[in-house]
Amino acid sequence: MAKKSNNYNVQYGEPVGMIAAQSVGEPGTQMILRLFHFAGIEATVTTSGLPRLAELVDAKKRPTTPITYVYIEDGAKKDFEKVEAIAKKINEVKMQNIVRRFVENFPKKRIKFFLNSQELEAAGLTSKQIASKIEKLFEVEAEADEDAVTVRLQTTNMKIIRNTGVRMMRSVISGIEGVGKAIIQQDKKTGEYFIIATGNNLGAIMDVAGVDKYRLYTNDVFAMYKQFGIESARYTLAKELMHTLSEQSITVDHRHLLLIADAMTSSGTIKGIGRHGLSGQKNSVLARAAYEETVKHLINAAAFGEIDPMSGVTENILVGKLIPLGTGSVKLAMKSGDTSKVKKNK
Amino acid sequence: MKSDHELVPVHEIMDEKEVRSLFEKMNITQNNLPKIFTSDPQAKKLSAKPGQIIKVHRTDFGNEYLYYRLVVEG
Repeated sequence: MAKKSNNYNVQYGEPVGMIAAQSVGEPGTQMILRLFHFAGIEATVTTSGLPRLAELVDAKKRPTTPITYVYIEDGAKKDFEKVEAIAKKINEVKMQNIVRRFVENFPKKRIKFFLNSQELEAAGLTSKQIASKIEKLFEVEAEADEDAVTVRLQTTNMKIIRNTGVRMMRSVISGIEGVGKAIIQQDKKTGEYFIIATGNNLGAIMDVAGVDKYRLYTNDVFAMYKQFGIESARYTLAKELMHTLSEQSITVDHRHLLLIADAMTSSGTIKGIGRHGLSGQKNSVLARAAYEETVKHLINAAAFGEIDPMSGVTENILVGKLIPLGTGSVKLAMKSGDTSKVKKNK
Repeated sequence: MKSDHELVPVHEIMDEKEVRSLFEKMNITQNNLPKIFTSDPQAKKLSAKPGQIIKVHRTDFGNEYLYYRLVVEG
């Protein structure tokens, strides 16, 4: 087996990068331009198709629709109630989500928040919890009633009171900042429950008890890079590329995608393919000038006395030399003075 | 050996002897290698210094191989 598979190894000098580019590019032309895909549930819409592919390849800092997959530790993953409790810890609840309206009383230095009891119940919070949270966040006195929270302030300044009220409305009461909705899903094969959350804040989610840190995953490549390092970013990138393509039933060999991911992560950080990424930072002046912004590159090269090592493909085609690919990548040289293998002319 | 995440392969700092034999075998210098920043979470965990080389035990779809990254400042 091993011997047989070794026969199919890539040959020396094979232009693997070009083959990878063509293998992804051709099916890319068949992709639907904009397709909205509902990942089995309502409310989480992920970008897919060509826009997503472009987003990945250009190494955008934030994806348009970041999504975090939170898996639960072995003990609790099949227990719906335990999973629900964790989801509640993650689900971001802002004051404005649970408050019906708020009324300022300027002369008495008070703000009264009227709570929406239905939303309150859905979030699993009580007015007392909210009052104590507000006290902690803003260092003010807060009183809890049945369905209202009254905050006492120190000042009569109307501007400050209004501003504090608005700031309180925007504050995160429970859950993790940066995460939107957390929805519980069930894996049909294994029967385990997991949480899909919009947005991401991996560092904070990891600290939640009961979350399986080993399988935490997000479609935001840069977030993965920051949390787990460049190697995980590479896998995430390849995985997302694969997912985007297979969603539209396009099959591209995984090695092409891994090669692209490898090239994008080889500098230690994630670089896009294009003017500001890989193509714009090539060694050769001529190769860069042949791609985009010709004049800029040539003038800069002339001004700084750059040297072109002539080791790539583009620059060699440009000057009419043999390209260093395939048989062109091998050079023959004779040891000076060694004429033992040369046939002598009679 | 198990890393701390599903998608993170095991990282390991190579000693100098290993590095020298690698360079000789592959006929390369350290500048030919892909890079990893010192600020990278995995490099931080190993407290790697610039100039060292990190060996990565990768597994791609069941295909196990080694990958090397040069530690650079960043």
